[in-house]
Amino acid sequence: MTLGIELLESSAFVLQGGFLDGVRTLLQPNTFVEQTINGLQRGLVLFLIASGLTVILGILDVLNLAHGELYALGAFIASSVAGYLIGSSGLMAPPTSFDPVMSFAFVGVLILVALITALIMLPIGAVVETTLIRPIYDRSQTYQLVLTFAILLIIADLLELIWGSQPIGASFASQQAVNDIPTFELIGFGNVPSLVAMIIVVSLLVGAALFWFFSRTKTGRIIRATAIDREMATALGVSPDRTFTLVFALGSFLAGFAGAMQFVRTNAQPGMGESALVLSFVVIVVGGLGSLRGAVVGAIIVGILENWMIVINPEFQTAAPFAVMVLILLVKPEGLFGTWGERT
Amino acid sequence: MTPGLEREDGSLRIRLMKGLVVSPLQLLGILVGIGLLFALPDIARSTENLPIRERPIYRGMVLGLAAVGLNLLLRHADLVSFGHAAFFGTGAYTTAILIQFYEIQSVLILIPMAIIAATLMAVLIGYFTLPHEGLYFALVTLAFGQLLYSIPRGIGELGGTDGLNVLAPSQPGTSVLDRFPRLGDIALTGSDIENSILFAVTIVVSLIMLLIMLRISKSPFGRALDAIGQQRTRARFLGLRVKRYVWAAFIISGFYGGVAGALYAIFFTSGVSPDETLQVFVSGDILYIAILGGFNTLTGPFIGGIIFEVLANIASDFELTGPGGTKEIGRMLTGIVLLIIVFVFPSGVVGSLKRGGKVREAGVDLKNDPSLIGPWLSQAASGTVAAAKRAVENVRILLLGVK
Amino acid sequence: MLEAKGLRKAFGNIVATDDVSLEFGREEGEMVFIVGPNGAGKSTLINLLTGLLDPDEGEVILDGEEITSLRADERVHKGLVRSFQVVKVFEEMTVRENIRTAILIKEEMTGGFGPRGALQGLFSLDDEHEEVEAKIEELIDQFRLEDVADDIAEELPHGDRKLLDVAMSFALDPSYLLLDEPTSGVSAQETDYVIETIVEVSEKQNVTTVTIEHDMDLVRGYADRVIALHQGSVHGEGPPSILETDDELRRLLLGVGE
Repeated sequence: MTLGIELLESSAFVLQGGFLDGVRTLLQPNTFVEQTINGLQRGLVLFLIASGLTVILGILDVLNLAHGELYALGAFIASSVAGYLIGSSGLMAPPTSFDPVMSFAFVGVLILVALITALIMLPIGAVVETTLIRPIYDRSQTYQLVLTFAILLIIADLLELIWGSQPIGASFASQQAVNDIPTFELIGFGNVPSLVAMIIVVSLLVGAALFWFFSRTKTGRIIRATAIDREMATALGVSPDRTFTLVFALGSFLAGFAGAMQFVRTNAQPGMGESALVLSFVVIVVGGLGSLRGAVVGAIIVGILENWMIVINPEFQTAAPFAVMVLILLVKPEGLFGTWGERT
Repeated sequence: MTPGLEREDGSLRIRLMKGLVVSPLQLLGILVGIGLLFALPDIARSTENLPIRERPIYRGMVLGLAAVGLNLLLRHADLVSFGHAAFFGTGAYTTAILIQFYEIQSVLILIPMAIIAATLMAVLIGYFTLPHEGLYFALVTLAFGQLLYSIPRGIGELGGTDGLNVLAPSQPGTSVLDRFPRLGDIALTGSDIENSILFAVTIVVSLIMLLIMLRISKSPFGRALDAIGQQRTRARFLGLRVKRYVWAAFIISGFYGGVAGALYAIFFTSGVSPDETLQVFVSGDILYIAILGGFNTLTGPFIGGIIFEVLANIASDFELTGPGGTKEIGRMLTGIVLLIIVFVFPSGVVGSLKRGGKVREAGVDLKNDPSLIGPWLSQAASGTVAAAKRAVENVRILLLGVK
Repeated sequence: MLEAKGLRKAFGNIVATDDVSLEFGREEGEMVFIVGPNGAGKSTLINLLTGLLDPDEGEVILDGEEITSLRADERVHKGLVRSFQVVKVFEEMTVRENIRTAILIKEEMTGGFGPRGALQGLFSLDDEHEEVEAKIEELIDQFRLEDVADDIAEELPHGDRKLLDVAMSFALDPSYLLLDEPTSGVSAQETDYVIETIVEVSEKQNVTTVTIEHDMDLVRGYADRVIALHQGSVHGEGPPSILETDDELRRLLLGVGE
């Protein structure tokens, strides 16, 4: 009988005091801004991951279950790259006090770390696609799922083999060096760690570049054309094979970049891939299959909601994104920006 | 049609029940197989050298049972579910909750209640999946699976990340042995005899449920699911109310998951935790067992489960040392095996070995002409080399641009 | 009679069907052909009539009963059957099995979905009922599929796949049969055969057929009535002779730039 009482207590919590108390805590201006902006940052990183996934899905028609591991791989590669570039033996050591030139230069170094990581992910993605994924394009979806799941398993263990099973954190000095940049003065409100602001800005830029790539550049349009009609594209002289490799490499690039951002912000740790993967799926369901716009909106919603929940009731933090997903499935099953059967 | 003998193609056939006709040799094989299953616990206990352990095999059996249910969706209606742990876990957790919070110890009550809970869960989740098919369906099931996973993790009373023990609450004056689930008067505490009894019960239950699934597969309902899986639109425009049939199949597969979960909880009394029963990897295990066992067979998933667990057990003993330290690489080995299966065994292991399967045909070819090994190997080698060359070329183009 | 009343359907800015009102089956067994250039809305009309799409406005009426809100599978039960421009058959089943599936669904041996039906469906195996088998053979015969009867649908040549698709539609004993380009992609010799068979079977069973067709010779040869669609609305209708007399129509169908 005790369980029954406890369930009633939880419901009571939700229905009256506890939940409202939590909301009240959240709604204090500083907390609200802080959590919302944290959520925005988290959401943008999620977007980078989900966008790679949705692009690969929309164009290659493959659900890449290993995508979370690519993100984790990016985080760990970033930790190694950072090890080389940062510190007394590297390019630059984290400045110990705020100096406009040095601090922004350091930000530049961090961005460089992310870029290098993402660039390293490009050939990795290309090789994976060419050797493992291309042979099974014609097979049933089930086999594709088994395949990408197998890749997930392999990478998961490889990560621990190479980098160990303990989390690797960006050093506190690095984070402090960025956080010393007074965003408050520059932006004008909120108690936002500059690291968060930096990630937001960088992620927005990458996201914008992605949109621009697909709608304005020739390669981007070729990719979309190939997705819609493979044969027609071949007739125009485009090699679908190469296009698909490019797309997968692009997805890996984005995942790697997101991983690097996550490393800089917190750490690289085993298991990050799996939870990111599942959240990416929630993002895609909420935003709509094959829609980049939907991925942005979905990711931001998920990110912000998660962070709000930390304040309202931490116990429900993991469940919150799924609650949104269930809601969307009830109200608009094809996702916010989804239309049945539409591609990127 | 009653059981009996009949002749077909001039050879003797035995009809076991409607829709199940076997040759005498097959019947012998089945009986031997069943006998072996019953004897497994004893075999496992008597030898340290064989990689056969009671616990993994039991887990394999129950996961295989869940996979048999999943196969209804997978093999007939062509729907991949990544969230079947939801039903397995619901069955397991219901059992644990009932015994720990409501002090119900009788297995004869625990199992039906667990089944009801899991089936209701399937009704609910199935409803949400109805508008979808293909990958979207998979995504939705995955997300629900994770939702269910996060619930007991977040709620302390449900055991949090550690889970629940499948034991009645302790009371002054009683020993631990009294707290276990009971089959009638027998407390299933994990002693050798009790485990063998539980094994036997599970085998019998599984066999019955396999036979039921056989009937379902060959029934008009199964045929309707086939039609839905092969050409959904056509099925609809022939007058089939597609969503209802899919929902029904989903519910039936949830039923199977619930039975499996309950049986699991009764055996693994300290193993009902989110990671062990609800996590996406458990769903993945069930799915891969279903695929490993093959689409074209009924017993495939069941056997596949046992093989899978034995393999996983063996694999967990392997270790590698890398820059990050020494770790056991069970997951990686599973991944490699799965890769091999995808590339070599298109119909699952059991499926490909049956008559007409690719591997069996290849085996026959090889028997007739052993020298085929040579060309095959060089084919494999040149194929790998070609793939590597393509990969290098693509990387070059990516980085340096098209020439 | 099957009627469309004021049907309208738009996709974004494109109006695929614009206030279309038509009657099919003024006499039993009427053979109506729908013609028109690509994009005229012919397939959309069939999709609206059969329930694949819901109209923005308008009604569909079958034998005096309004069926606009009925699901597609419910409309089939009332006798409204269609075939598809892109062949949709059960790829992994043989020809025989395909037809058997169609008949069994029709005979509700799959149980429908009431409790009694579900139980019946689950636990009775389809022992091959003689009437069902006889009907399968009759259809195989009528559609000249004997040579490929035991072949897997996936492996059939295109013409046979088309025939199978139509055969399955007839297996449902329809009152109204809507065929979406049944001869597209079929060779010249087979085309005559396909249409002749359709005409023969539908005459025998008094099925009102509505066929979308591009081949004007066929239309001239077999139509009781011709309906011409253009840009979503009805351009004209009448006996096949309008193909000769209506200049604008001829230009639309045969002329420059369409």
